[in-house]
Amino acid sequence: MKLSHFYKFLHIIILSFVFFTFKIFAVENIDERVKKLTLELRCMTCQNQSIYDSDAEFSNDIKKIVKRKLLEGKSERDIKIFLVERYGEYILFRPLMNYNNIFLWSFPFILLIIGLFFVLIKTKTRKG
Amino acid sequence: MSSLVGFLSLVFAIGINFYLFLSRYIFKFQKQKFNLFIRFSSLLTLLSFFSLMYAYVVSDFSNYNVFQNSHSNKPLIYKISGTWGNHEGSMLLWLSILSIFSFFFSFTKNIEDNFQKLTLIIQAFLHILFGLFIVFTSNPFLVNSILVNEGLGLNPILQDPGLAVHPPILYAGYVGYSIVFSIAIAGLFQNTDDEWLYVAKKWSLISWTFLTGGIALGSYWAYYELGWGGWWFWDPVENISLMPWIAGLALVHSLMMVRGEQAIKKWIVFLSILCFSLSVFGTFLVRSGILTSVHSFAADASRGIFILLIFFIVTGFGFLVFLLKEPKKSNALNLLFINKVSALVINNILMIIATLTILLGTIYPIIIEVLYNKRISVGGPYFNSTVIPIMIPGFLLMSIAPILSWQTNKINNSKKYVLAFIILSILVLIQSYFMDFNTWGFVGLLLGFWIILASIIAIFSSYKIKINFKFFKIINPHVAHIGVGIAIVGITCSSVFKNELDFNLNEGDKFNVNGKTVLFEKIETTNEINFQSLRGKFLFDIEKNQSKEIEAGKNYYPVSKMITSEAGILHQWNKDIYFILGDQKNNEWFVKVLINPFVSFIWLGVIIMMYSGLIAVSRR
Repeated sequence: MKLSHFYKFLHIIILSFVFFTFKIFAVENIDERVKKLTLELRCMTCQNQSIYDSDAEFSNDIKKIVKRKLLEGKSERDIKIFLVERYGEYILFRPLMNYNNIFLWSFPFILLIIGLFFVLIKTKTRKG
Repeated sequence: MSSLVGFLSLVFAIGINFYLFLSRYIFKFQKQKFNLFIRFSSLLTLLSFFSLMYAYVVSDFSNYNVFQNSHSNKPLIYKISGTWGNHEGSMLLWLSILSIFSFFFSFTKNIEDNFQKLTLIIQAFLHILFGLFIVFTSNPFLVNSILVNEGLGLNPILQDPGLAVHPPILYAGYVGYSIVFSIAIAGLFQNTDDEWLYVAKKWSLISWTFLTGGIALGSYWAYYELGWGGWWFWDPVENISLMPWIAGLALVHSLMMVRGEQAIKKWIVFLSILCFSLSVFGTFLVRSGILTSVHSFAADASRGIFILLIFFIVTGFGFLVFLLKEPKKSNALNLLFINKVSALVINNILMIIATLTILLGTIYPIIIEVLYNKRISVGGPYFNSTVIPIMIPGFLLMSIAPILSWQTNKINNSKKYVLAFIILSILVLIQSYFMDFNTWGFVGLLLGFWIILASIIAIFSSYKIKINFKFFKIINPHVAHIGVGIAIVGITCSSVFKNELDFNLNEGDKFNVNGKTVLFEKIETTNEINFQSLRGKFLFDIEKNQSKEIEAGKNYYPVSKMITSEAGILHQWNKDIYFILGDQKNNEWFVKVLINPFVSFIWLGVIIMMYSGLIAVSRR
């Protein structure tokens, strides 16, 4: 068997798994949503800790705020914007995907595309 | 007295290096004499370092640096490690390691005399730069202007055995790339044969192994000392150590192509310069205090500017020589879809993209602060969603890369691999069906186990099994990759399947962790030499006779008025049970218990990688 066949196999397997797994995206409960969001927030009074991992007073307050807002039905983005207005963007470990940060977010993938082109151009398909 | 000896020998060593540097142009002398001088300057630098250490050990507070960073009632080990637990001392350590590398390099055999001499001259040049930096901005031998009989104490967070050895090993990795840098530059100047590539390979493997050990020690320390149950935070300083590590990994892999007679010298030289530049750049970022992190001891603008200057000299010089003295064009690469050469090229590209992404993410907050005067964070979530996806094709490729052929794109026994992959996928799928499904968990487990499995199949189907050193050298690439696979499994399990339990307890309460009953025995406070400790004592699994005792608590250091958390960890082969004692509220203690499955696999994987780094040094 040639290697290209092997990679076709790989594709089929991976794709079928991806489809299969969609059924499992069930509804998350409230605590998990709080955890997911607070893991991405900086504890402003600690050194390099997320709000989720910290037990500082500041963090406990934010955890309560996040939980309350989620129960009110606010979206993650709303809550982030609310926190940014209050504490500045420094609180977000995941920088906002907005116009200002377009370079930050696109850079790795631009490099990846350039790299991919390089390999494709330089690769010979047959031995010789 | 010892400070004086230290300072004089430091200055004298710089003088010798200056003399050696000029020897290329003015005073010519023979190889023997030249090497003797190099070794002499190394010994002087070490003498300087040890006299600082002596000042720490005897608590000589007439030395300002000792006064600032030590205390007479610290245990001996932290007096010794206090030598590099501060900016000045750690820079002297940096310089000492640089000269140790020069020392050993001067003994290298099988290398052309002029080439060796030129390499050492470049080392001497680096020695002068960093030596002057120490003398002018970070002198550890300053005299204390006031008479005192007690020091201010070492940052308690640094008083830990793991952190005592972390800096020297990490620095051995960083500074080791100086030799690789010097070899590459010398290789550009004297472009005679390819022999220097083999020399560069040995030294880059040594540096890489040290760097791996240093990073692992640092993250293990973070795991048990910082008390939040994680071991990697994508903290700027962690990123800084990761960049030369990945670039160094790319370097080691592209040096493999020398053996396949596909030397891509240009790229190798570029990576060599990049590795050392990243090391110096990292030093600049940490030492300038631009970054807020546990690692920046003191912020001082003049130091930052001086190191930035050194960085520009080193990098500028390196890349200038690179552009002017470009290596002769090597033969075109034999890139097929997919043979060993293209696998190595793809892996190099991915690693460099990862390195550049980490670099951007690390300095982006600084750029934004300068441009918009606004503070932002680029933390774990950014790196997790950029660096990890980029690396995934590389991980997939590395499972089979060592058995690919240099010339053709045929692969032996491919049916076995396909079959193994299908079976493995089904197994992982069943596993994730019965646990909570998590995409990252699924991908990580599949990748990790696939790398292990494919490497094992490759070992058994491609070589005759013998138990001797030669055999271990032959299968070494596979072993290294098994190490990576094990580490990936550990990383995935401990980050995705981590479980957390919170309790509010009184002394004497029993509670349930993972089906086992745990007794919260008592709270105990004791006075140690230089701190007060508060410990919660837990008995794990009290139904059995051999129940295990766990202590978790905090230490209070009166000298520096700091509290550190001391997690209690019960290590089992398949999980760590991690106890954190919180605060007391309404007579109840807050206790957090983390169950971290397969954390030990991370350290096991790292040890295997280091082992095969060392084995590879002996392989030509």
